[in-house]
Amino acid sequence: MKQLNELATPFATVAESSDLPGQDLPWLQALRQRALTQFSTAGLPAKKQEDWKYTSLWNLSQHPFTHQAVESTVDAAQVEDLALLDDAYRLVIVDGVYVATLSQLDDLPVGLTVRPFSASLDSVKQQLGQQVALDKVGLTALNTLLMKEGVMVHVAADTVVDKPIELLVINSGATADLATHLRNMIVLDVNAQATVVEHYVGVTDGVNFTNVVSEVVLAEQTELFHYKLQQESHQAFHIATLAAKQAAGSQWHTQNITLGGKLSRNDVHSRLEGEQSHTTMDGLYLLNDEQHADTHTRIDHLVPNTTSNELYKGVLNDECHGVFNGKVIVHQDAQKTDSNQYNHNLLLSRGCAIDTKPEMEIYADDVKCGHGSTVGQLDMDQLFFLRARGLDDVTARSLLTHAFAVDVLARLPSETIRQALSAVIEQRLPRGEKS
Amino acid sequence: MLEIKNLHASVDGKDILKGINLTVKPGEVHAIMGPNGAGKSTLSNVLAGRDGYEITQGSVTFQDEDLLALEAEERARRGVFLAFQYPVEIPGVSNIYLLKAALNAVRTHQGLEELDAMDFLTLVREKLKLVKMDEDFMYRGVNEGFSGGEKKRNEILQMALLEPTLAILDETDSGLDIDALKTVSEGVNALRSADRSIVMITHYQRLLDYIVPDFVHVLSDGQIVKSGDKELAKELESKGYSWVHAEGPAA
Repeated sequence: MKQLNELATPFATVAESSDLPGQDLPWLQALRQRALTQFSTAGLPAKKQEDWKYTSLWNLSQHPFTHQAVESTVDAAQVEDLALLDDAYRLVIVDGVYVATLSQLDDLPVGLTVRPFSASLDSVKQQLGQQVALDKVGLTALNTLLMKEGVMVHVAADTVVDKPIELLVINSGATADLATHLRNMIVLDVNAQATVVEHYVGVTDGVNFTNVVSEVVLAEQTELFHYKLQQESHQAFHIATLAAKQAAGSQWHTQNITLGGKLSRNDVHSRLEGEQSHTTMDGLYLLNDEQHADTHTRIDHLVPNTTSNELYKGVLNDECHGVFNGKVIVHQDAQKTDSNQYNHNLLLSRGCAIDTKPEMEIYADDVKCGHGSTVGQLDMDQLFFLRARGLDDVTARSLLTHAFAVDVLARLPSETIRQALSAVIEQRLPRGEKS
Repeated sequence: MLEIKNLHASVDGKDILKGINLTVKPGEVHAIMGPNGAGKSTLSNVLAGRDGYEITQGSVTFQDEDLLALEAEERARRGVFLAFQYPVEIPGVSNIYLLKAALNAVRTHQGLEELDAMDFLTLVREKLKLVKMDEDFMYRGVNEGFSGGEKKRNEILQMALLEPTLAILDETDSGLDIDALKTVSEGVNALRSADRSIVMITHYQRLLDYIVPDFVHVLSDGQIVKSGDKELAKELESKGYSWVHAEGPAA
């Protein structure tokens, strides 16, 4: 790693020269200043840190990124093509810039606000940065220093949003080596319900760096279905932090699907701060070539009577490397916690590798907790059965792999989104003869 | 249609089949009986093309083709069907998807168009009646959570849909109660025809009360040691397998 200040200095320059929003807001300037100081102290995470043991940011730190995007040529037809959902409220960001003409934010129902982050600074002021710690991870500090765009979703009390909200982040490839620091804020007031899809897509196979922080604030009795689909270029660096605070009776259902990126890292964190609150933390990483994907999750059970279910699955091929580290912490006061956490991996080649570590720290004595992980290969009996029914070897393998992967998707109720994701996953599998 | 000549096969260097000879003509039903360890399942697996068996001698010809040179899926597409002794569960792959993929693989090989969704469903419903299965089963994972009897009926359903030229039934009666055995047998009997041959592999004579074979063969220590008609099965039932052992291999 470079010397810390040497690392931080260029970013400070970027912060000064970039057209960052909120230059006139003293509170935001103060926050960015704190972030700079913190980044300068912490630097980028190094492999000697336990949470970064298997993921090196050396290549990221050495790559000459630019923070200035040239104008891109993404058009409406392309957006339709790239979007996961046809029928959704949609906010589109291309190369780090919000594009109103490509977004679909007319006709938002009463009680729903969806706006670009840059135009929502006053409304996010109270909660910005409350869900993520600046002091631990330099990447969050870097994001806070340079955050420019993203989505702000606010759902007013008692509002049930009728359609999913898709945040479509497109890296067009028009600017080589572009770095974007996105900040999303999703706030549900009491008794609200919504579905949000964060969708990151790379159009070309160029290099870019996406550093996104999404903060989620769930008030009492809210329910958020929160999907993240990452389809960046296989040369991209994708770093994402997803963190929620949950009040009593709230439910946060996440589904985190990683398909793209040369190096991707997801940190997903929920804090169950109110009784009867629940987190579903599910995900899937489908990797090939030399992709490296690292998922770190953490669920804090802080009060009595909270529940969490976690299932991450991995499909690994070629020379890729997957990392899963899940941590569930049942704090001393969190009696009657009910939590389970599983990670299952399917290895399709000799050259791939997975490092998996499900962890539970339990400080309460009256809890129900289970966890485990498996690493395996395709079942030869299943494979022979399919071939004995006339399916060729590649189709049979592809079918079994798809079946392994998509059962994660069935854990959330939206049939439309499940089918859309299933189709996306299918495209990534090896293709056999048409049968 | 099927001609097995002096077939020798081994697993992990251990000889299991030691010179099988068998000729099956169109429309014939053959029963192959034998004690545990005789090589019954090895024979069905070798015919269906499962990996892991080494053919050390002999040949298998199916409709003038060298069957052993074909991959498992190529055999299936040419009309060889293995009804499994232990049908696997495949969660996440629906029964209806499997049936459609399997049927289309066969049809494509035959140069036929794939069936459209409506025609396919009509066909499946017709075949479901044959094995007395509810349509609900179609939308569950393949054999997922099925009882032993339901799994076997599902095998016969696949066979009914694919209309094979040669069906190999590997211990289809195992694990079936009497009602399920009747249903499965009725399904198989309905599929008997002048151009379809059936090879039934079984440990017990019971199945042969319901599916009456034209020929019965006794397999022992990797060889067919005795052949006859359905009366042979009854004799076996009363005298036990030790009887054929004592008589030694057939000439």
